[in-house]
Amino acid sequence: MNLEKITFNDDEKDVLQELINIAYGNATAIVADILDAFASLSVPIIEVMTINELLFKFNNFKHSSYFFSTQAFIGDFSGECAFFINEESANNLAKHLDIDNVADLDDAILELTNILTSSLTMRLAQEMHTEVTYSLPNISKIPLSELSNSKTLQYYSQVIVIDTKLNFKEQHIDGQIFILTKDGSMQWLKKQLNIILKSLI
Amino acid sequence: MRYLVTDDSKLARMTLIKSLTKFVDNSQIMQATNGNEAIDIVDKYKPDIVFLDLTMPEMDGYEAIPKILKSNPKTKIVVVSADIQTKAKEMAISLGAKLHVQKPINSQTMQEILELLE
Repeated sequence: MNLEKITFNDDEKDVLQELINIAYGNATAIVADILDAFASLSVPIIEVMTINELLFKFNNFKHSSYFFSTQAFIGDFSGECAFFINEESANNLAKHLDIDNVADLDDAILELTNILTSSLTMRLAQEMHTEVTYSLPNISKIPLSELSNSKTLQYYSQVIVIDTKLNFKEQHIDGQIFILTKDGSMQWLKKQLNIILKSLI
Repeated sequence: MRYLVTDDSKLARMTLIKSLTKFVDNSQIMQATNGNEAIDIVDKYKPDIVFLDLTMPEMDGYEAIPKILKSNPKTKIVVVSADIQTKAKEMAISLGAKLHVQKPINSQTMQEILELLE
């Protein structure tokens, strides 16, 4: 695993933040429509970090157990989109959807992840003038202390942390999204951000 | 005519201004990065059309809309946002925005907006 971080300058970060903002707004609207709920959107804070830095960041998470669902996307920009939802939010989601058993809750989170991550990455790809295809999403329930053993996290070198919440205030449901990528995709992304920047000058 | 483009993202402002300058002169366009700055500019220069993002630091679009209209009731506000939830659109319009448009705006959409607001 290459642990050297690819860095972005301020202009590149601004472009990435705005593209993710657009993609995230699109994805949230779709999920809000399905859940018949209103999500408050915050300014997404985008950070690019190594997996080791991400694992350190997990130490700040307040809940002890998380549903961790992921979906891989393949194309010029490849990687895996991971969605974290804590147990309390997952239970609130179950209440909101009238779900009373674990299997149905897993299924609902998988469906939510599928919709959220595919609409997010599809719109992000569209804004970068490319296309992506998807694998089926996976779900696991992981105690926070065991996250560093996750095979998904070990497979990737870098991560784009979208530090914004899927926040349905009335329903008390919130989650966090991460885009995991490898160095090749990160370099492609950097190149693409500069093409977009040049097109505006 | 005077125009104000309000967005915390430089890219969003540049994209919008690129579309806008196909129809109006660049010298007529002002910029702000949040609701507070937008209100200051509206107070001073009374722009005819304000393009306004909803999700911004310091003061968001929802808070800025009534304050802009209080400062200059003749200003027409066009919300340009990534938040395309139905409730977000309804809230912006109920606060006094004329239009709610999804980001990013291309030239064709800009032409439609300017024609609608004529």
